[in-house]
Amino acid sequence: MQNESTIDPKIIEEVLKFSRNVIEAPKFVSAPDEINLEVTPHKVVQQIDKTRLLHYKPISGTKHKTPLLISYALINRYHILDIHPEKSWVRNLLEQGFEVYMLDWGTPTSMDKYLDFDDYVNGYLESSVEYIKNQSSTEQISLQGYCTGATIATAYTALYPENVKNYIATAPVIDGWKDTTVISNLAKHMDADKMVETIGNMPPEFMYYCFSVLKPFEQGIEKYVKFFKNIDDKKYVDNFLRVEKWLGDTPPIPGELFKQWIKDIYQENLLIQNKMYVGDELIDLKKIDMPMFTQVAVGDHLVSPECSMPLHYAVGSKDKTLKIYPTGHVGMIASSLSQNSLSQKKVLPEMGAWLAERS
Amino acid sequence: MSSKPQALTSIGPMRAFAANSKKIAVELIEINENLLGFNQYITEYYKQLSETWGVAQKKVNQKAPKIPQDVEQIEATKRIWIDIFDNDFTELFDSKKFGENYGNLVSKELELTKHWNNITNVILQSVNLPSKEEVDEVYKEIHSLKKRVSKLELELKKEKRKNAK
Repeated sequence: MQNESTIDPKIIEEVLKFSRNVIEAPKFVSAPDEINLEVTPHKVVQQIDKTRLLHYKPISGTKHKTPLLISYALINRYHILDIHPEKSWVRNLLEQGFEVYMLDWGTPTSMDKYLDFDDYVNGYLESSVEYIKNQSSTEQISLQGYCTGATIATAYTALYPENVKNYIATAPVIDGWKDTTVISNLAKHMDADKMVETIGNMPPEFMYYCFSVLKPFEQGIEKYVKFFKNIDDKKYVDNFLRVEKWLGDTPPIPGELFKQWIKDIYQENLLIQNKMYVGDELIDLKKIDMPMFTQVAVGDHLVSPECSMPLHYAVGSKDKTLKIYPTGHVGMIASSLSQNSLSQKKVLPEMGAWLAERS
Repeated sequence: MSSKPQALTSIGPMRAFAANSKKIAVELIEINENLLGFNQYITEYYKQLSETWGVAQKKVNQKAPKIPQDVEQIEATKRIWIDIFDNDFTELFDSKKFGENYGNLVSKELELTKHWNNITNVILQSVNLPSKEEVDEVYKEIHSLKKRVSKLELELKKEKRKNAK
């Protein structure tokens, strides 16, 4: 018959397979509580308020004298840097012979709404550095900051250059006016004073909204379609669930810190102009004079390269390196196999080689 | 002495009740006023989303006009749909008009929350519990004390370390 429509049998096969995968998914998927995101063994060596300083157990013996402290971002938790043995940032550094510490900012409650930049920089970060110096009998440490954690680390490095031997800034949030992301557009039009006065800490729900407007169709639809298509692939499912669990665990941001963040970085752009105060002290980026390594990702849709790169040009360091990678914000630190494991094969070896020479 | 029944509210235990009722009534009136502004911004918010959706769908129709006939074509059409929608919506979320309207929308929502907080405060105080502002004052005081203690502890550790050398 001429009017009879012809449907490719493969389409029907695909639809049936997809439906079967959706129905059978619960058999292959672990409950969030069954997934342990803390992969590499570590000890909690110091606890101040809700923050914890983690010390990772060496894997192949410590080859380098200067310990490395990682200051993770304020959004989500530090687990992404140790999310899976095959893509663990921490594990890779341990294998390269570094002694690694991580500062976990914890989960602030309503009581912590008055915590500000001063508490984070001069309090928690400075206490951690002092602890490490004391334990390892060194006068200086290497410091790495990631995303918003790099903004805190940058402020710290400018205030305490004598404590930092090498500084690594990974996707740092520095020049808010140059940031071309959706996040910066929302931040620029936000009444931060009213927000903090009314609700105190910045709730995770607001952060989830901000994430949902970043590539909403790729991240909100295609990602899950791919997940159901690959439901038979144990490795893919495990990796997917780990990242999903990590994405769904965002602590609130203390109100005062959030307010200063939005106003000083995104609205008035004070940090890059050397006009930002932490406590009573002015942050002068020129005081960062130690070797510095900046890592940015071309496809970063959370912190655009234009926002991060000005740090490289603003510091006083003579020995400085800027690396640009063809990936995204998370891809730079925890690439999947589909991204050719860029973080494990290129980003970390390059950073490790740079750091080893100077540690 | 006035014989008017409403004068009862000016004396005795009814006085506080009358004053609280008035405060709550004022907050409710202001909530209604805020809702008008809130509705205006939320309407604009969904208008921007639906307009962007319409434009993006038209672009998809122009780029992929045929009904997909096989698996490869379905995949290609899906890719076009996602790319165009992501681009158009990112452009919207990145625009000044979206940023301003969203900022105003959140601001109105916060004003509504503030009125709700004020009503809760009236109720809390009527049952002799501290208000949000009073609890905040305690939090502020604790924060300031903890900060001072932490700084002193840190200084002490540094001093000890210096002396140990």
